[in-house]
Amino acid sequence: MSDSLETHEHDVLVIGAGGAGLRAAIEALAQGSSVGVICKSLLGKAHTVMAEGGIAAAMSNVDAADDWRTHFRDTMRGGKFLNNWRMAQLHAQEAPDRVRELEQWGALFDRTQDGRILQRAFGGHTFKRLCHVGDRTGLEMIRTLQDRGVQMGFDVYMECTVVRLLKDGERVAGALAYWREQGRFVLFRAKAIVLATGGIGKVYRVTSNSWEYTGDGMAAAYEAGAELMDMEFVQFHPTGMVWPPGVQGILVTEAVRGEGGVLRNRLGERFMEKYDPKKMELSTRDVVARAIYTEVREGRGTEHGGAFLDISQKPAEYVKRKLPSMYHQFKELADVDITKEPMEVGPTCHYMMGGIRVEAETAQSSLPGLFAAGEAAAGLHGANRLGGNSLSDLLVFGRRAGLAAAQYAKSAKSPSIAANDAEAAQREALAPFERSEGENPYTLHRDLQVTMQDLVGIFRVREDLEKALGELEKMKERGKGISVEGSRLFNPGWHLALELKSMLTVSEAVTRAAMMRQESRGAHSRIDFPNTEAAWGRKNIIVKREGSTMALREEPVAEMPEELKKILAEEK
Amino acid sequence: MDTAAPGGGNSGRKVIVRVKRRPGTREEAHWEEFALDWRPHMNIIICLRDIAERPVTRDGHATTPVSYEANCLEEVCGACAMLINGVSRQACSTLVDSLEQPIRIEPLTKFPVVRDLVVDRSIMFENLKRMKCWVPLDGTYDLGPGPRIAPEVQEKYYPLSRCITCGNCLEVCPQVNENSDFVGAAILSQVRLFNAHPTGAMHMKERLAAVMGPGGVADCANAQNCVEVCPKQIPLTESIAEVNRQAIRQAVLGWLLG
Repeated sequence: MSDSLETHEHDVLVIGAGGAGLRAAIEALAQGSSVGVICKSLLGKAHTVMAEGGIAAAMSNVDAADDWRTHFRDTMRGGKFLNNWRMAQLHAQEAPDRVRELEQWGALFDRTQDGRILQRAFGGHTFKRLCHVGDRTGLEMIRTLQDRGVQMGFDVYMECTVVRLLKDGERVAGALAYWREQGRFVLFRAKAIVLATGGIGKVYRVTSNSWEYTGDGMAAAYEAGAELMDMEFVQFHPTGMVWPPGVQGILVTEAVRGEGGVLRNRLGERFMEKYDPKKMELSTRDVVARAIYTEVREGRGTEHGGAFLDISQKPAEYVKRKLPSMYHQFKELADVDITKEPMEVGPTCHYMMGGIRVEAETAQSSLPGLFAAGEAAAGLHGANRLGGNSLSDLLVFGRRAGLAAAQYAKSAKSPSIAANDAEAAQREALAPFERSEGENPYTLHRDLQVTMQDLVGIFRVREDLEKALGELEKMKERGKGISVEGSRLFNPGWHLALELKSMLTVSEAVTRAAMMRQESRGAHSRIDFPNTEAAWGRKNIIVKREGSTMALREEPVAEMPEELKKILAEEK
Repeated sequence: MDTAAPGGGNSGRKVIVRVKRRPGTREEAHWEEFALDWRPHMNIIICLRDIAERPVTRDGHATTPVSYEANCLEEVCGACAMLINGVSRQACSTLVDSLEQPIRIEPLTKFPVVRDLVVDRSIMFENLKRMKCWVPLDGTYDLGPGPRIAPEVQEKYYPLSRCITCGNCLEVCPQVNENSDFVGAAILSQVRLFNAHPTGAMHMKERLAAVMGPGGVADCANAQNCVEVCPKQIPLTESIAEVNRQAIRQAVLGWLLG
């Protein structure tokens, strides 16, 4: 097998070509490393392009009183103090430089009247802090990084998916991947690897994430023996489209309710009367989310598991004027006319705070030579992420990961990969072809999504989580019996079968961690433990593979230095 | 993926889709026809997903899933450009009910076909390099407070940065063909954007030298198809005209100053 195996060798291999991956690659190139970048889709099309809000950075262009300390404090408060404080500090301190750098490389941010980078207000940020380019900041970031990376000369491997990380003893040594189009395997040898593979949205039925978000990087790191952390913290937006498929998961802004949108259940009842008769639809995010969840849970949800959000009682011209992008998007993508018909909305999975546990300064995981940045990594956001902090995360820790990976590669010897490791990975990946009459991967994926959405979603309760674990155990068994038809040439069923393994792993980690954390904090809401418990505020949950079982343990949050404690204590 | 029409108002109505298949770069193309269950609100991506999940032709023969590119499904990434009923456009924002049937889906013709609807658009990255669309700073000096840019200037150039590198403008350009290496409208528009940028402008001279070279702005024959088809309504012809003016100015100045 390995005789004919296509092989590439790099000092630094970056897996994932979103904001974090590209920024890491650029930094490693600048250090003189040979760099390979693997992307599951096409260069420049990664999930980052969908980010709208902006990049949070305390540049103090609009609010002169802003500084890194305030940004640090906001981030820690948003994360309910479970964040890795050193990451939150570095992030707040370095984000302004990363933004200026992006500007110098060609990004064109919106401006203040006196010509500086304009910053907008955003939930949880004390000051106007989000540097933005209209409502498509993510695209601007990707375009700028892509143009720069292409010119600096990294090797890009497009439409290529990693199935396993390979090791030399304890350190990481490379990755086995396959070309999606041709189905052929390819081996990457590398002295250091940066995982920038994003989140896990596709384990949920309704998600704003792109199809690439199947938790591949987290699962590969876990399989290789690296630690995961904070997996119970999954951020949901309370109102995303649950139907039709053409727009499923897309966020419905809170402005729809602000402009007079009315929530109704399947029976036509305006159910907010029961939950917050005073503020009705204008109630807080968590109350609205809880109300929709309760209606669905008690059997009054819509056909597709949501609630109706209706703004069609307002004049069409008013809706078009007040909500132009919302109107156009749904009209263009799925012929849904929000001026005429109600939307079907429910919680949509938006962001994963948890992920690969990394060291703050270097972004190195618990495995030597393996680094992680962006949504794939854990720590910065703690129990909940503030809007705008993810794009800045990509730049700050993408750069740090690229830098540290390049430095690691400089001092490291070339690792060797045992031929039978690569062969075993190939055999395992091909197993679904060997089986006939097995289960179809699409069915299993749908069942997984339903389980996670209904039982491990925006609100959690012990009986649901136990049931989910039972289902997941069965699904893991079913996963071993998946069969796919056809050849290895572009075969989405096979791709899904491989991704399902990752999805099942991260789903189990989310569920087990959610079960363990017996409190409500940030994005983790337990119906049966509604309070925030001080004791839990001092512990992270770490997930690690022990043989074939998933082991969880609590680990104390590192003690914060006095100077940072002082910053947190300040009232602003 | 809710693709199997669970209760979506399926009335036995079918969507007839003809897809131009090509197993590989060097192989012959052929057409396959599919009859898919119609549901309300369908777009072309939903059709391609349906085929992927159940790759059976209209006359009942098992076939392979159709290869295609797609990512954001919100028309912000540019991946899913293809020819739909002969029109170059994004599949995610093309609604089935707005199309005449049978719906014909083909790969873009100006790029090498990899497989089925997947084409190799890496030439666009090569052209970005040829036209020096970047800012060659090495990041070793103090970043300082950054340049001042008037909001009006930023607003003027904002539309140019909406480019999603989809390739539609190249597809419809008669000057982009086998005998030409014209870089096309998207890249020239990026040249304009970089020339307008404070740090980008420092390297305007080299960029314009490239633009005056082979495959550059002189190859535009002003067909103006690009601006018609751009899904982001980028003023591409305006960009080409401005880059052309900049190039002429530089050439004349160079000639005058010897």
